[in-house]
Amino acid sequence: MIWPPIITTLLYVFVFGLALGSRIPTVQGVTYAQFLIPGLIVLQVIDASYGECSSSLFQGRFMNSIQELLIAPMSAAEIVAGFILGSLARALLIAGLITALGILLVHSVPRDWTLYLIVIALVSVLFSSLGLIFGLVAEKFDHIAILTTFVITPLTFVGGVFTSAKMLPPTLRNLELFNPIFYTIDAFRRSYTGESDLAPAFSLAMIALLTAVALGIALRLTATGYKLRT
Amino acid sequence: MERLVKCYGTFTAVDGISLQVREGEFFGFLGPNGAGKTTTINAIAGLAHKSGGRIAVFGHDNERDWRRARRLVGLSPQEYNFDRYLSLRDVLIFAAGYYGARGKAVAERADMLLDRFGLTPHAHREYTRISGGQKRRLSLARALIHEPRLLILDEPTAGVDVELRLELWQWLRELNREGLTIFLTTHYLEEAEKLCRRIAIIRGGKIVTEKPTEELLAAGESLQDVFLELTRN
Repeated sequence: MIWPPIITTLLYVFVFGLALGSRIPTVQGVTYAQFLIPGLIVLQVIDASYGECSSSLFQGRFMNSIQELLIAPMSAAEIVAGFILGSLARALLIAGLITALGILLVHSVPRDWTLYLIVIALVSVLFSSLGLIFGLVAEKFDHIAILTTFVITPLTFVGGVFTSAKMLPPTLRNLELFNPIFYTIDAFRRSYTGESDLAPAFSLAMIALLTAVALGIALRLTATGYKLRT
Repeated sequence: MERLVKCYGTFTAVDGISLQVREGEFFGFLGPNGAGKTTTINAIAGLAHKSGGRIAVFGHDNERDWRRARRLVGLSPQEYNFDRYLSLRDVLIFAAGYYGARGKAVAERADMLLDRFGLTPHAHREYTRISGGQKRRLSLARALIHEPRLLILDEPTAGVDVELRLELWQWLRELNREGLTIFLTTHYLEEAEKLCRRIAIIRGGKIVTEKPTEELLAAGESLQDVFLELTRN
């Protein structure tokens, strides 16, 4: 289902952007509602990528339908690529729809489509890989929700969806540097506003590094058949 | 397979078994529950890591030359493992895709198999909405979608009524006559007696006998008597 993230985004835009945002002056040279859109896109891309991969893989393990893939002449890299490309397609579709909503509702238009696509792709691969890792490690469906509830959602909310790091006190601003999601939102927002708190090359390098590590772990676990083959 | 060993921690499920199934043969692999039948099948199909030994499928080592080996094997497992959100026809088309097959030829083969196993009227139903017997037939059709040369059947008639069992026997005989090598495990000894040309019996992870069916029954005993004699503690 692609509609729930769209409805959630609409709610955020109306409540935070249009209702509360009217009391906030411009941020990074744009209205608060326009400032929100890129963060909300990253929020939904993260959610869609992680959810798609973790639940698909876990369901496959739970119903044993994953065995169809395991007996087929497919390498671990091909299996991982299949899951990740599926998630990426979903993430791009959701990002595209929210982008269209942003253009229609608050006239928020991306300026740098190359950066837009690079960040979406990297973020989607990063969180799809984490989804695969948790889809493999989880023993129960609840275990998949642990990362979402206790790590992804809190870090996303304090990672710059609703605020610019420049709006935070210096201590919190320094703490943001330990939040990996801050780099994703900061780099992505630059594709809209042309401004960012950090140099985009540095943010992209950090996201690429995290993506490589997560992808490497997902590949290694799949190749060794962790909780897949007996 | 040569000296196949599979251990789970300190428990040895399969203990150095060696078997050779000839091309075109209908081979029965019997044993009591927990004897190591499904573990052996999983090792052949690539679902279980071997602890030792070697398995080759038509000369292709299933570790070193795993792509070719797996392409030659079709597996109908004991438990249903379909994607519950797919229709019967899509189950077959998706399965073919995992073997790199796509396009019109796959759709035609899927339709042919649905027809052969009497599933055409249910082709667009979800798998959760069909009966147990229809699921068994679908499992067989899926195992055949990529035109394997070796068909592995793990208790294919478990839980089906007598009529369907006889029908499945007929289909399996036909497939074997067409040249398909079949490796069958079953708890129905009558089934093995009627279908298999050669039978191996496994007990506690070791092969206790491996003979042509006629030779196994030469003393005038039924397969049940032979089985009980060899597998009783």
